[in-house]
Amino acid sequence: MPAGFEDDTALDDTALDDTALIAAFGGHGIDRDSAAHFRGRLERRLLVHRCDDCGHWHHPPRPMCPACWSWNITPTEVSGRGRIHLLMTLHQGPPAAGVDYADGHPVVTVELAEQPALRFTSTVTADFPADRLEIGTPVTLQWVDRDGTPTPVFGLQEDR
Amino acid sequence: MTNRDPMKDQVAIVGLGSTGFTRDGDESPLAMALRAATEAITDAGLTAADIDGVVATSEPAAKGPEEIAAALGITEATHHTKPSPVAMFSLLDAARAVFSGAADNVLVVTPVVMGPWNSRRAAADPWRAGTRSSILPIPEDATKAAAYAAWASRYIHEYGATKDPFARIAINSRTNAAANPLAAMTEPLSFGMYDAGRMIRDPLNIYDMDLPVDGADAFVLTTAERGRAIAAAQGREPVVIHAATTGIVGKNDEDQLVGLERTGQHVVVDQLRRTSDIWIDDVDLFYPYEGFTIITLAWFENVGFCPPGGAEDFLREHWNDDAQRIEINGRVLVNTHGGSLSEGATRGTGHIREAVHQLRGTAGDRQVADVQSALVTPGGFFFNPQGAILRRG
Repeated sequence: MPAGFEDDTALDDTALDDTALIAAFGGHGIDRDSAAHFRGRLERRLLVHRCDDCGHWHHPPRPMCPACWSWNITPTEVSGRGRIHLLMTLHQGPPAAGVDYADGHPVVTVELAEQPALRFTSTVTADFPADRLEIGTPVTLQWVDRDGTPTPVFGLQEDR
Repeated sequence: MTNRDPMKDQVAIVGLGSTGFTRDGDESPLAMALRAATEAITDAGLTAADIDGVVATSEPAAKGPEEIAAALGITEATHHTKPSPVAMFSLLDAARAVFSGAADNVLVVTPVVMGPWNSRRAAADPWRAGTRSSILPIPEDATKAAAYAAWASRYIHEYGATKDPFARIAINSRTNAAANPLAAMTEPLSFGMYDAGRMIRDPLNIYDMDLPVDGADAFVLTTAERGRAIAAAQGREPVVIHAATTGIVGKNDEDQLVGLERTGQHVVVDQLRRTSDIWIDDVDLFYPYEGFTIITLAWFENVGFCPPGGAEDFLREHWNDDAQRIEINGRVLVNTHGGSLSEGATRGTGHIREAVHQLRGTAGDRQVADVQSALVTPGGFFFNPQGAILRRG
């Protein structure tokens, strides 16, 4: 486990007020429309906006369904399963806890099982096998802490 | 989508100005903008008193049209806007102002400035410390330009492509930049150097990415009628905008784009084909954007020079090994100025400036004989694809 990433620590279930939430996720460009998604991260739940009327999922979080213009949107937990759709390895970039660009830092965009072209971008677990780091590999959501903040990453979805 | 184009051939580009581009800039963005602007207005045979429209860009650190107008001593302007940086946003905005009668002679000013986030030298410059940053705050952020590397790996995966066509795009630009006195990087680039290039965002290396530079381009647009009179007085060929458009698809977040088979580039191509009298079999020059080399491969395929995934074979077949550049059917040259990869990251203004120079016959040592039309396609995949056909008129 690289520096800055710690194993799951005890859940801090103290609800953050808006100011604290913004401070906790300032680097993500958090706004009113994505606040529920980021509050979900604090509970280690990956919430994606889903329309109550037509069932369509969309990400990043926006206040209205792009498929039917309904405003009945519920941030809904996803299974966390999917496949690597886009992949790159960063050899330079912004400083971040646990990220060593010298070794190359993988960034994966995962196509989530819930809906075609519904995707979430993150990195992979530290023990992700290098020979499976490729487009098409099935993955599943895991949570690690980055500087004390729960962070969604993807681990290998073992073939069963 | 429309087949109407009442603006066809009705607006002329009559003034060009450029500071040239450098990695060692020590001028303010306003100073660069003013040097390019005064050159463009003078080049058009006009004065500040003739300019009644000013289009600036929202480039980080760039000044707005109000400050530029004040600094140039423009007396009065009836059109002043600040579009997104990529070239056609500004050119189209100016053209529509001229065509509508909102203004007669519109100045477009587009400075580019290295930021502390994309240049070590700029990061050490105290005058740039306050530049608005577009740095990615977290590594796993696919927004802004970062996702091009991810889509490059997707392209390689889907088509079994190698890096060979990427190398040819980069080498073509470097070869052409050698003849361009405005270009920032002119040393020859070989396949071996490309292969050894420092990896930045695998699979894209430093030669796959455009070059942060300082500099500015400026243009003056007016009616085709006035443009012909100006060109006649100068002994040059007049240049008009034959067709031009921008285009996006509905899902254009960088990591949510449905796929490379339908991007804004396709929307641009479809619209150009609906409104233009000429297409790729007719054009003499091609200026595809190469902010990242993957964008260029897509433009080759999407405008129809080759099928999806066909850029590798196409570029190999149309490669002049002696000249180390692309020559489509031995006739159509590509990014004759060196493009974003070697002239510098001008967000497409260099592609348009060079096309105009070639069309009116003022491209100097790079001049291609008897150029009648050019296809210019700035922009990438997500939120800024755009294109134009410029021709003598």
